[in-house]
Amino acid sequence: MEFEGLCRGGCVVITTHEIDNNLGRTFMECGFFTSVFNLQATNLPGCSMKELDCLFFPKSVALVGATPDPAKLGGIVLRNLIRLKGTVYPVNPKYGEILGIRSFPSVADLPETVDLSVILRPAADVPAILEAHRGKARFVLVVSAGFAEVGASELQAEIIRIGREGGLRLVGPNCLGLYNPRHRLDTMFLPHACLKRPKRGNVAVVSQSGAVMICLLEAIRMANTGISKVVNYGNAVDLDAPEVYEYLAEDDDTAVVVSYLESVGDGRRFLKAARFLSDRKPLLILKAGKGAGGGAAAFSHTGRLAGNYEVFHSLMNHYGLHEVACFDELLDGAKAVSYQRPVPGKRVCIITNGGGAGVLAVDECAHRGLVLPDLPDEVRRDLREAFPSFYTVANPIDLTGQVRVDDYREALFAVRDVCDGFLVIAMTGVAGVTLRLADHLREFREKAGKPVVVHIAQGGVAPRLIRLTERAGIPVYPSPERAVRGLASLLGKGGSHG
Amino acid sequence: MDRRESLRRFLGAYPDTRLLPEHAVKGFLREAGLPVPVGFFIPAGDPLPDCSRLSYPLAAKVSSSRIRSKSDVGGIRLGLKDSTGVATAVADLMGIENAEGVILEEQAQPGTEVIVGGIIDPQFGPVVMFGLGGVLVELFHDVAFALAPMTRDDACRLMERVKGYRLLTGYRGAPPRDREALADILVTVSELIATGLLEEIDLNPVALYPSGAMILDAKMFVAVRH
Repeated sequence: MEFEGLCRGGCVVITTHEIDNNLGRTFMECGFFTSVFNLQATNLPGCSMKELDCLFFPKSVALVGATPDPAKLGGIVLRNLIRLKGTVYPVNPKYGEILGIRSFPSVADLPETVDLSVILRPAADVPAILEAHRGKARFVLVVSAGFAEVGASELQAEIIRIGREGGLRLVGPNCLGLYNPRHRLDTMFLPHACLKRPKRGNVAVVSQSGAVMICLLEAIRMANTGISKVVNYGNAVDLDAPEVYEYLAEDDDTAVVVSYLESVGDGRRFLKAARFLSDRKPLLILKAGKGAGGGAAAFSHTGRLAGNYEVFHSLMNHYGLHEVACFDELLDGAKAVSYQRPVPGKRVCIITNGGGAGVLAVDECAHRGLVLPDLPDEVRRDLREAFPSFYTVANPIDLTGQVRVDDYREALFAVRDVCDGFLVIAMTGVAGVTLRLADHLREFREKAGKPVVVHIAQGGVAPRLIRLTERAGIPVYPSPERAVRGLASLLGKGGSHG
Repeated sequence: MDRRESLRRFLGAYPDTRLLPEHAVKGFLREAGLPVPVGFFIPAGDPLPDCSRLSYPLAAKVSSSRIRSKSDVGGIRLGLKDSTGVATAVADLMGIENAEGVILEEQAQPGTEVIVGGIIDPQFGPVVMFGLGGVLVELFHDVAFALAPMTRDDACRLMERVKGYRLLTGYRGAPPRDREALADILVTVSELIATGLLEEIDLNPVALYPSGAMILDAKMFVAVRH
């Protein structure tokens, strides 16, 4: 028994044996199960490596709607795209040449089958343009908006059909597409003057929304960390989060994946891919659209309690996936795991020179399920001997406003073996906190090999201290609570990542 | 006979009904090996049958496909101690608007009340739900979901995920509840919803005891048939 998939392009045929569920066959026999669950896209011919390599490392890219005008989208994208480590083909019948590159009247005239074609034309023109791509492109990125998101579901269904019949993989529509700094691939229609690109790094971003993706890129740049790969897939008519998760799970450049979702499409396929990825590296998911309640008209208690988000949230929990509650948490967690590797264990020691900041951190630790163990007697005795009597030798260790910078080092090494992770709080308004703290933190981090995060505030040497500390591979946060959130993503179940 | 086949045969007896009568659902669950109270169904218009086989006290409940909540219409009578009490209760319940009959069964001992349910989620397909049950289930909202069908291990992890889990392990001196019996119910419900033949299944409440469990109310809503 074979079914043709509804929502993937290319030669998409699923057979019953691909259903990884012992009752799969019974699902298949009842109506709507057939089209929705467990679709698998097969590899395209002519693409010897992984299929998504063609998308993230295209050897050739066509741009339909390229123009010399730097104020138009077609001009902006072309300027971003010509840095590509590969060949770029502008497509526009009005020009023989754009920015010194030979331009083609239509995709049918291209001298080769391109790995990726980017369409920047109005939605109504997209079906005809897609038809012309048959045999001329592997992936087609439809940047244009004006499809199902504005109610034009028929137009969207049409491009799905053309993609499937023409053997074209589709990305979008209604999206910004791709950014891969390693290959200098950039399809975003934002000029560099408006959006500085983050440096190359190990964070991958998988976002359904373009606007959220841009905010994430800017925040990642500000957090002094970098990007491995970015994809914004918009209406997800073909390429969807699960396929990207599976690719990133085996991508050596990516150490952590942050993902923003509005819909999950085929929920079982999503869970399977998310578990595959999160078994290998940290995956942080932010799901929007939490408001949709249960079916008030449902006939049972179960039906009324089973809102879309309730079920999603509960299943994420059940299968050990890491869902974050808000944008800031996504970012704080991503920053931490881009700097350091998660470990098992939940015991935290806080070393501060400000009592209030320490208390705020303690509260947040409790909220996040982190444990602050009492210090063993011998540790207390040693610290008592080393420190002035007005320091608090407990957990948190409070070095007070009269701190001397070397006290941080003394405290850190004293508690090295009794905790799994460390939060250092440095209020720079006092004279005792100097840039040497960064050297102590670096040394401790190297010798202890455990997660260390830092909260630095109060000006003075703060900006320079933050820079030096982050250069030493230790993430710095602007509040005690956010520092704890970062630390929380490095502790506990994070230890399952290799 | 596997779950799907036995459920298909059972549903075959009700070709035009989507909300199945409680006594029929309980009869099916008994056949599937799950604990339901001993009792019988009296169709509207029938005389009161001989109750001497049942042990008092008895419980009587109105039965109707058009009544969503029996307690909301005063359709449940508990603690019936003798045949006179039973006769009065049955006559009263038959008088409720839309009553199609009365279920008469042995009244179960009070236990820790939980809910076990299944639905077809539009994103994830067949899903099973567990939570603290009874009439307050929608107020406290202490429930968790897992994909169906599921293993016994999955069923145990699902139980652990509700806030009230400690009520099952022995809270404040109370004896622990029979989690093995609960796991049986969870796994069976997960298999039933995974057949795709049902749209919703709702066992609420299920009373849990130190040894054993009892399904006190059971609803099944049949999927649109093709």
